[in-house]
Amino acid sequence: MKFNEILSIRGNFLIKATPFLIFISSIVVFNGMVDDWGRLSGSIDNLFVFIRESLWPPDWSVIEPQAYPICTAYPLIDFTCSTAWIGLLETLKIAFVSTVFGMILSLPISLLAARNLNPWWLSYSSRFILAAFRSLPSIIWAIFFVILVGFGPLSGVLAMTVYTIGYLGKLQYEAIEGMNKTPLYAAEAMGLSRFETAFQVVIPESANDLISQAIFMFEYNFRHGTVIGIVGAGGIGYYINLYLKFLQYDKVIAYLIIIFIVVLLIDMISIFARSFFTEEGDMPKPSWFHVILPASMIKK
Amino acid sequence: MTGDSKEIEVYRNPIVRLLDVEIGYKKTEPLVKIPNLEIFPGEIVAIAGPSGVGKTTLLRTIAGLVRPISGSVEVCGAVSPSKPSKGILGYVPQRLGLIRHTSVMHNVMIGANAGHNKSLWSILPSSLAKKYASEAINSMGLSDKLREPIRRLSGGQQRRVATARTLAQRPSLIMADEFLSELDEDTMDMVLTAVTQYVRQSGAALLVVEHDVSRAKSMADRLLVIDDGRVNPFITEATAMEVKI
Ligand SMILES: Nc1ncnc2c1ncn2[C@@H]1O[C@H](COP(=O)(O)OP(=O)(O)OP(=O)(O)O)[C@@H](O)[C@H]1O
Ligand SMILES: [Mg+2]
Repeated sequence: MKFNEILSIRGNFLIKATPFLIFISSIVVFNGMVDDWGRLSGSIDNLFVFIRESLWPPDWSVIEPQAYPICTAYPLIDFTCSTAWIGLLETLKIAFVSTVFGMILSLPISLLAARNLNPWWLSYSSRFILAAFRSLPSIIWAIFFVILVGFGPLSGVLAMTVYTIGYLGKLQYEAIEGMNKTPLYAAEAMGLSRFETAFQVVIPESANDLISQAIFMFEYNFRHGTVIGIVGAGGIGYYINLYLKFLQYDKVIAYLIIIFIVVLLIDMISIFARSFFTEEGDMPKPSWFHVILPASMIKK
Repeated sequence: MTGDSKEIEVYRNPIVRLLDVEIGYKKTEPLVKIPNLEIFPGEIVAIAGPSGVGKTTLLRTIAGLVRPISGSVEVCGAVSPSKPSKGILGYVPQRLGLIRHTSVMHNVMIGANAGHNKSLWSILPSSLAKKYASEAINSMGLSDKLREPIRRLSGGQQRRVATARTLAQRPSLIMADEFLSELDEDTMDMVLTAVTQYVRQSGAALLVVEHDVSRAKSMADRLLVIDDGRVNPFITEATAMEVKI
């Protein structure tokens, strides 16, 4: 066998072995971080004890009206006076407001950040701003704003808005950069200003992507909004943190189940709503059946 | 297209003037050399040549989308790299450049706004722009498709929307790249009549790329054949007797 044949076989072998080597190295790195594997052996027992004694059954009193303030709602809908309802609603409101504000603020920045519309210095400096907003997770922004403006939903809205600008802005400029170039050429030949091109060509052409991203962002903000209450930035996380502190884990699990269900619902609504804006729009309207089953399970 | 009107127009300033221009995308590999090309108001000039020779590139160079490698490109008095002001230049790209998800009206209004709204911050359409937009849509036989999104139109219908967008703009120079493709004889006549009528009446110039040489000869005053990287000014039979050099 010639030398380069041997080399190519070895090269081929290396390429095939790479995933395996990556896996082995992850095991090695993991092992290096764990001092005592014996800790795992007791964990299953711990889990059962924890579930039996503290978590289960969930304490559904969290959806009963609070003792104070006095509930004035009809008895049938008196769950609207419960901490779960109040917290959840606040989280939804925070997610909604910060998605809308974030979108309004991120769109102009992402129009400046798109490389196909702007000189490089402008697009890269706009990207820098978006990257800075995105570099911290919303919970860190929440801590920051709680320090600045105090506890409550205001700091939650500010935190989530800032994060939304960074995250949504990135999605938006990537959608804009992916748009068809010919409409831009036609606009440039006509002599449209950058402002007119943005409003008459770029936004209409990428509107479907922009809308679908905003819906996704709302869903994302709701999921993350359940956490920011832990640092006092409003929403259901506040109550979770409260009961965690008092070790009332059966109430905590009730909240988690509620959040799980609502996240699932919003997820489904979001997929359903976005399906109108993602593909061509000429496809048959999706049914709820399509939303619940993964796309791969449905014959095209 | 009478001899008289042409004589008067020839003495006006040309709308397009190219001098010693080399076009292409790489400095080291110019596609076409154009020693001298002038296009006058009211004139229809066709460009023909084999595929990939640089016809589209020539239009894009005149439109200011591609820098000429060398030489000077002048459009309505603006010498490259400076560009003519908004709405002067109309372009029907080979790939149309329509916004697929919006209506025929929206797409045509982009052209109408460019031509009739001089403010650079215009979003609200003027009534004049609306009038020209619906006129242009009518002349392209698309008045029953006003609200239809582009993606639901046939290829030939889309091409007519792109032409309507440029007509609604009422530019001084129309550059149309294969704008008669995908059309049947009758529709082609309708489109050609509308565009020719506009050019002759308004004194705009029309520069078309048309790969079908006989069709190009029948519609144009002059035919430029690009071959081997050189523009050969070719005089069509219709006018050859008058302008014999
Ligand atoms: N954006 C680009 N960058 C680099 N080269 C390009 C670009 N666009 C086109 N070319 C090349 O330039 C040459 C001329 O292309 P052009 O589109 O001008 O041809 P054409 O004469 O219009 O052909 P057709 O009749 O097929 O439309 C082609 O060889 C093509 O590969
Ligand atoms: Mg071409």
